[in-house]
Amino acid sequence: MRRIVPIAIFLLTLFVDPFVRAQGLVDGFMRGQRKASLALTYSQESFDRYYVGTREIRDPNLGTVSTQSLNLYATYGLGYDLDLIVNAPYVRTEASAGYWPKQEGFQDLTAALRWEAYDYKFGKTRLSWLFALGYSLPLQNYVIDAPVTIGHGSRNLDGRTMLHFKAGAFFLTGQYGYIRRGAVSLDRVANYYQPDNLNPNSGSKVNVPDVTDIVVRSGFSTKYFYVDGWWQQQSPYSKGTDIAPGIPYPTNAVGFTRAGASLYMPLIRKFGLTGAYSTTLDGRNVGKSTRLSGGFIIGL
Amino acid sequence: MKTYACLFVTLSLLTGLSACKEPTIDEGILPFVTPTSTDSTGGTWRTVLLTSAAEIAVPQPAAITSDAYQSELTAVKNGLLSATPEQNTAVNYWAAGSVQRWNQIARLLVSKYNVDAAYDETTGQYAPYDATKPVASAPYAARLYALLSVAQYDALVVSWRAKFRYNRPSLERQGILARVPILDVPSYPSEDAAVAEASCQVLAYFFPAETAWLKAKAAEHKQSRVWAGACVPSDLKAGEELAAAVAAKAITYARTDRFDRARDPNNTWESLRSRAPYDLTWKSLDIPARSPMLPLAGTTRTWFDSTAIVRALPAAPPATTTPAFQQALADVRDLANTRTRDQWRIAEFWSDGSGTYTTPGHWNRIAEDLVRQYGQNELRSARTYALMNRAMQDGATVGWRTSFTYFVPRPSQVDPTIKTAVRIPNMPGYPSTHALLANAATTVLVYLFPNEAEVLKAQAAEATLSQLYGGVQYRFDVDAGARSGVAVGQLAVGWASADGAR
Repeated sequence: MRRIVPIAIFLLTLFVDPFVRAQGLVDGFMRGQRKASLALTYSQESFDRYYVGTREIRDPNLGTVSTQSLNLYATYGLGYDLDLIVNAPYVRTEASAGYWPKQEGFQDLTAALRWEAYDYKFGKTRLSWLFALGYSLPLQNYVIDAPVTIGHGSRNLDGRTMLHFKAGAFFLTGQYGYIRRGAVSLDRVANYYQPDNLNPNSGSKVNVPDVTDIVVRSGFSTKYFYVDGWWQQQSPYSKGTDIAPGIPYPTNAVGFTRAGASLYMPLIRKFGLTGAYSTTLDGRNVGKSTRLSGGFIIGL
Repeated sequence: MKTYACLFVTLSLLTGLSACKEPTIDEGILPFVTPTSTDSTGGTWRTVLLTSAAEIAVPQPAAITSDAYQSELTAVKNGLLSATPEQNTAVNYWAAGSVQRWNQIARLLVSKYNVDAAYDETTGQYAPYDATKPVASAPYAARLYALLSVAQYDALVVSWRAKFRYNRPSLERQGILARVPILDVPSYPSEDAAVAEASCQVLAYFFPAETAWLKAKAAEHKQSRVWAGACVPSDLKAGEELAAAVAAKAITYARTDRFDRARDPNNTWESLRSRAPYDLTWKSLDIPARSPMLPLAGTTRTWFDSTAIVRALPAAPPATTTPAFQQALADVRDLANTRTRDQWRIAEFWSDGSGTYTTPGHWNRIAEDLVRQYGQNELRSARTYALMNRAMQDGATVGWRTSFTYFVPRPSQVDPTIKTAVRIPNMPGYPSTHALLANAATTVLVYLFPNEAEVLKAQAAEATLSQLYGGVQYRFDVDAGARSGVAVGQLAVGWASADGAR
């Protein structure tokens, strides 16, 4: 089974949209020592409604915001219980109305280590307990404080733990993570109104709220196909703002509930195709987006 | 195996440690500034709203040997020994400078109120105007900052006159060790009470819904000076009374400066547009279209000589059919298509649009750093702000009058492929008010802080070009704005050179 470990699921949560990029990089399947895989996927995502705070609206001056991204995703088994994961997306996003220009470029480079700490066998079933730690940083100084952007430009530290259960072809993974987001520098002085904000010229450095991330994923993984369904909830942990005039976009408290499904089909030996779909069920300061992606995966 | 475990445990702990609640923005703490001069002749400086400082009579204070004064002094001494942490916080906050703090409060309120009417999806309309929530856009804010700093300045000139006339010695000279640095001037009347009262009343006139909040701030400010050991309650009372008289003058000025009609609820600007001496006129690029920002703000009464102001109005812009215009349009298009990250930063840095303290607020912030750096006392910092803010309000008036004469369309209206790095201001473009205000403000600041001329001129040059980089102005907009700005700034410099301060 491990030979065709699907990567589709990684890519699925690696979504990109103009208000937030959550990176649920990691799944419960270990790569295996000195095994590597490389995935290249293309995704198309769009929304015409978004959440201001938790209120859903449509802005005629933005129209439909659509985002295309090209993702390069690689994993390598450093040991039988330790994987290295690296990811770099190229993103392009634009709005159909108004005068905000298209934004395009390399977004954030992410590297993560995944460690399978415990592995219990119960007859034909297996339960493993994994930990992962990732770091990401922007690959270039892209625009972060506008309605149409490719990211929020922070450096992030992502720590997560997961339980992965497998019985024959069936699997169930639950994971909980905390993403620590570093402060970012705006192009301007942040001087927005907060009742507890004594001084309206605090400088250009603002905090990007941290988030917690819960992902539940389940499906079947066999030699001939892989299919899963998942549900993800990301919630702001530290105090943040809501989208409003003058409020820096990176300080907004971003959260969402999304669900999706993905499919992977091996074609010839180590080469396979993947496709995925996801949609936003609820959110906060985020686009109500749907996303479709497809690509290929090569095992090495 | 073990090493991985150690690594993961350590890193996880680190992640956990860092996962504490963080503020949304960091506020630095600046050291107190000790003013470099007392300006003992300040009471003779030329006032703006008052004919002279003598117009407001400040009563003779009780002698320091009187029982009334001595008991006040004892109470202050005892208070110093029993200060609470809350009192200390207030003392330190207000010790940064009363003029500066109230200017910051004004900027905070402007950024709170500088919000356009919201679009309602269900009706497809913008929310109707709410008089309790005025939209504090640039001309509104320019007028607010001007009136605020003029009221502060006049109240301080009156205070200074009374201080050096009655010469009630400062508490420090009577052996009281204050908690924060105090300017060594006579304590009666309190300059802090004067600034607090004048500022509170002027700001409450602009934002009536904030009255209670402002009054609480002013009360805390006044009281903090007693807690600090800077003055006694009778000093506060005198400062408060003289400032109330000055604030009344400021509010009378505000009621009669013709700004009330700037909002133009009956859309009379449309007839101005139909008569505009320009071949292609502006229309709103917002979806749905909305009425422009304060169309009649250009008819506001000016602080400086109105005939000189009229001379500062920009000349007619090139018609859209001329090669000059076509070249200017092509320049904007090229800039927008090849905009660098740094040009984007400059456009964004100076745009100061909706939800911010506006462009005049930005220059007040820059002035604040200079006032602090040069250790200006309350009176002199009020003068700095009053000069600069009057120049900026007149600059805004010049800009608005010109914009609503020619109704020159924004580049994106003529060529919708031009994308902008900042939101397109909902008003005609010519001239660039960013350029105008930048040059008006820096002309004044360069006069007041000649050692900073190089930095200020560089800032003005960057601000001038910023909105061209943003894609919302033509080069002829920014050039005309810069010229008018310098002309208006010179009027303020002329005033400053003869106001008695040196």
